[in-house]
Amino acid sequence: MKRDVSFVLNGLEVTVAVDGHDRLIDVLRGPLGHIGTKEGCGEGECGACTVLIDGLAVNACLYPAMEVEGKQVATIEGLRDEENRLSVLQQAFVDRGAIQCGFCTPGMIMSAKALLDANPVPTEEEIRDALLGNLCRCTGYVQIIEAVKEAAIRLKDGS
Amino acid sequence: MKKFHHIGKEMPRPESRDKALGKAHYLHDIERPGMLYGKIRFSDHPHARIKHIDISKAERLPGVKAVITAQNTPEIRIGFLRDNFALKPDKVRQYRDEIAGVAAIDPDIAAEAVELIDVAYEPLPGVFGPEDAMKEGAPLVHETDPQGRPRTGNLLALRFHHASGDPEAGRRAAAFVVEGEFSTPRIQQSCMGTAGCIAEFDGNHNLTIRTKTQIPFLAQRDFNRALSDMGLRGKNTRVIVPTLGGAFGSGLDTHAYEYIAILLAFRTGQPVKILYTRDEEFAYLSPRQSCRIRISQGCDRTGRLTFRHVDVLQDNGAYTSWGATYPSVMMMPATSLYRVPSVYFDAKLVYTNNTYCQAMRGYGNPELNWALENNMDELAEAAGIDPYDFRRINCNEPGETTPMGLRISTCGLKECLESVAGKLDWKNQRKKGKRRGVGMASLIHVGGGGRIYRSDGSGMILKLDDFGNVNVYHGGVEMGQGLHSVLTLAVAEALGVRPEKVYINPVDTGTCPWDVGTHASRGAFMACHGAILAANKLRDQIFAFAGELFPREIEKNIKKLQKKDPDFKPPDFDVREAAKPERFELRDGILFLKDAPAEPWLQLELGRLLRSIHFRNQGQMLTTEAFYDPPNELPDFEKGYGNMSATYAYGTQGAEVEVDTETGEVKILQMVAAHDVGKVLNPPALKGQIYGALAQGVGYALYEEVLSQEGRIMNPNFRDYKIPRFHEMGFPIELDFIETNDAFGPFGAKGVGEPGLVPTAPAISNAIYNAIGVRIRDLPITPEKILAALKNK
Amino acid sequence: MRRFEYFRPHTLDEAFALQGKFPDSRFIAGGTDLVVQIKNRELQPSALISLRSIPGLSGVAGDGVTRIGALTTITGLMNHPALQRNFPVLMDAARNLACVQIRNVATIGGNLCRCSPCADTAPPLLVLDAKVRFRNAGEDREIPIHDFFMGPGETCLAPNEILTEILLEAPAENARMLFLKKGRVKMDLAIASVAVLLEMDGERCRKARIAAGSVAPVPMRLPDVEALLESARVTRELLDEIRHLAAESVSPIDDIRSTGAYRSEIVGVFVKRAIEQLMGWSPV
Repeated sequence: MKRDVSFVLNGLEVTVAVDGHDRLIDVLRGPLGHIGTKEGCGEGECGACTVLIDGLAVNACLYPAMEVEGKQVATIEGLRDEENRLSVLQQAFVDRGAIQCGFCTPGMIMSAKALLDANPVPTEEEIRDALLGNLCRCTGYVQIIEAVKEAAIRLKDGS
Repeated sequence: MKKFHHIGKEMPRPESRDKALGKAHYLHDIERPGMLYGKIRFSDHPHARIKHIDISKAERLPGVKAVITAQNTPEIRIGFLRDNFALKPDKVRQYRDEIAGVAAIDPDIAAEAVELIDVAYEPLPGVFGPEDAMKEGAPLVHETDPQGRPRTGNLLALRFHHASGDPEAGRRAAAFVVEGEFSTPRIQQSCMGTAGCIAEFDGNHNLTIRTKTQIPFLAQRDFNRALSDMGLRGKNTRVIVPTLGGAFGSGLDTHAYEYIAILLAFRTGQPVKILYTRDEEFAYLSPRQSCRIRISQGCDRTGRLTFRHVDVLQDNGAYTSWGATYPSVMMMPATSLYRVPSVYFDAKLVYTNNTYCQAMRGYGNPELNWALENNMDELAEAAGIDPYDFRRINCNEPGETTPMGLRISTCGLKECLESVAGKLDWKNQRKKGKRRGVGMASLIHVGGGGRIYRSDGSGMILKLDDFGNVNVYHGGVEMGQGLHSVLTLAVAEALGVRPEKVYINPVDTGTCPWDVGTHASRGAFMACHGAILAANKLRDQIFAFAGELFPREIEKNIKKLQKKDPDFKPPDFDVREAAKPERFELRDGILFLKDAPAEPWLQLELGRLLRSIHFRNQGQMLTTEAFYDPPNELPDFEKGYGNMSATYAYGTQGAEVEVDTETGEVKILQMVAAHDVGKVLNPPALKGQIYGALAQGVGYALYEEVLSQEGRIMNPNFRDYKIPRFHEMGFPIELDFIETNDAFGPFGAKGVGEPGLVPTAPAISNAIYNAIGVRIRDLPITPEKILAALKNK
Repeated sequence: MRRFEYFRPHTLDEAFALQGKFPDSRFIAGGTDLVVQIKNRELQPSALISLRSIPGLSGVAGDGVTRIGALTTITGLMNHPALQRNFPVLMDAARNLACVQIRNVATIGGNLCRCSPCADTAPPLLVLDAKVRFRNAGEDREIPIHDFFMGPGETCLAPNEILTEILLEAPAENARMLFLKKGRVKMDLAIASVAVLLEMDGERCRKARIAAGSVAPVPMRLPDVEALLESARVTRELLDEIRHLAAESVSPIDDIRSTGAYRSEIVGVFVKRAIEQLMGWSPV
């Protein structure tokens, strides 16, 4: 039986009818039309579905939709600024060649965002730890690390 | 050396902003009006006769629109040997066999319906290894060939053979000979975006299929043939390729699920989407081919190779796809990596009841390289020569023709070897001890297309609009390798416009010109050649019209300026006299005369010229096309001869490792990758290709293996199929791009999509041997194998 | 079909009442294991009863005895100063559990109740002599964690019992502890893991606790090795004997992840290395 669940999605209050077995990713990609969050495995291994719930990175493929009641959810769609420009983090990914096929990108960026929000000057080791749950098959990870480092510098400089 | 405007510059990929925003639409995100969801019923046995399929319960489930089997659809044979079927009629030969397809209004209902299909089997004994399958009396995987003639064994008739010089004499003449046997496992491409398609028919029974493919035009041909089988002879297929979540070779064949989607779409009259989940991808999509290779090489006292003998045995699985043709590529390193006067190469393929295999990046080269480069080190040791010196002694040279007939134009192998040795501090590190070691391995790969089909061609259409925008139609597939960024730069460079004015249209067989496929590292090579040819034609047309129209536009400019400033006097320059086609130049979208003063009013924005060509009596629009077919040959693979590429990419990789001899763990301390790329077209894209390939090479070396037991995939998920993550790639990687500026390459460039993963595993293996004196011959090199080998020492 | 109801009761009584109504139901904490089990059809519950909205089940409190609410997330454990200070062996395990996304949602109670032989938090809790408390229709029971694990996927909990707390005594002043985990890659289930706690008095070991994961149907202590350590002077010379005894104390299986022989070997190596590290000796 469907029940209404209300939460804040990228700063806007939404209410959506949800089934007991729905996962957060089903609700985001389905009725809410936020297709930026991708399902790569459905088992919490690949991290392509990473979103932020109350600032913490979680796999939307494992998160029961009913549990999101009253929470703040951030997805890739919410990162662009008020003038519809790429956020500093997104721009750094673009500039540093961190995006190839792009399927892992939204989840990767959200994990990086959770890191930089909590730890604005991460070491390389801390970046690897924070992104460990995000798989990429295209890039070999090197330019992703460079992008996160670059984003940290730009955010610090206020650019 | 020519200086380029755009080629070689750092440029963000044009499609990356959309990807960063989460706005790129993959198959997963595409919905078509009235779309149904398809699911497939797979076999419950690795080898069995199908006695009966009962679809009645499935058909009755509310929400189900169609259930199809081989019994209620026309037979569609698939695969280049035509030995496979879209839906299996009387027999299943692997766990993956597709027995039925369901289309329903949502994927859950489709999945439930699949469970309601009852299948009665008569299980048959199976064979799960090529040696077993070749034994006398082994069960036949295929009782007949595609023409219906009875088969007597499981050995495939495909022949891959090469014999040059006199290998036996070479063996006798050798002072040192080393033989070894090596094996490589099945590997999953592991694209982040899983496989799938959406098929739909229009009112005229023409098919449109959006699908994950690297061969849109060959797929069109395959699907048209299927339409014929379905009674729709003469109808056409339009293949559209959406944004792909990676491919790595998995899109080089057409798959049963595509034909099933087509059959379901036709049966229901509605679009049908089939999308593999991750576990379906692991269990039911064809992985990389596995093989066993026996190699022997010999050298004289000075270290010169005298012969090479290679025997390959491949487990072909139940049906035939491109995995079976890996030996056609293996022949290349077998005959042409390092100089060797006499080569014997032979490959056998055997049907089994295991999963069948398809293309994956490197396509036989990493496999052969694994055996060859390990064996090179063993031979060097036997001869008492340092492995780096050994490779230099036998290094290929520019201008040589190899035993296979490969004509090497430029060759940066020597520079690559030197680069790796230098950056690894080779001589010192070899002696380090303390369970640390360094190793290297080199590669040769096709860098100028790869003719393995009747045509290695690629078309290009450039269409100019009224505003100086260039609409590009090209059949090469962007799958994350950076083709779009390179093509954008190539058009901008060759035509003379800014990259922002270049728009690459989606790959669509209805609009784009023919291209054989995005494989063999040919994407950038073809796209850039095509861009240059078509752009030059466009420039000729632009300059011809400019001869006529440019002076008039400049006069307008002058009049406008004089209106603003009556004192304005243009300098003494006869525009009309100067306006000959050969004296024009177009750069960054601005048209000007080469020998005119550099005044803004003496220049014309391209769009303005185009509008003046268009908006007049008998006006014209400018569109040009080109079809580039490289100067290479389709080899005879039974003789093993033919120059299959226009140019060849060489490279060397080196690794420094430290082995924990108590746990068997291998820690990579650093890697160096030196690649002969001809010319760097787009630095971040090239780096991404090499880093990414290297990561796949590391996975191949240390972690990845599709585990199969009696035909069943035992690790169909990321939990137990381990691909490298951030930590596994946490070591420093130094890249060195050797620019040999090849005359056959567009802007001097060679293709480098695949080389990055070819020598990685043997480089690591050779380093491990240097560290602890242990050589694992069967990939992956796991801690368990290392510990067991150390105990046996 | 994988359809089920989902309830978010606000009290344990409500939770039990729902369970009574839905006999095929399961309790869910973080769900990072459970959701996967349902996806793979290992479980097909008719309803999930979430414990996440029941107050009092998460958080860390207490002085002499530290009480960890079962619904405390792994990240919650890692961030708690008292746990960082007093129970570094548990922190080692938490840090090596999966990845950030999982740790933010997975709970220590869930990790224990999943009762996988590979459970990362189990070996540390075994060496800490933890107790677990559970609620059963109004009654609270407390048992040593040693008695909690019955078999793979099987705890001692009856279907109508909910794990509520993990209780840890304050460690002795001279207690040293650590946890080592071996995976095929960094983010992995343990193919072998070892937790060691030593209370040293010079070269004398007053108390030794050694536990291993992924080498038996349940996480287990290695009493023979503990006895050896407690009876002898702990010197480098003992290390080889300890290593062999530890390896022989376990008989793990071969599976798709590793071999029994390798796992035994790792247990031996890890016990040796853990002791080396805790004693401040440079590796042999």
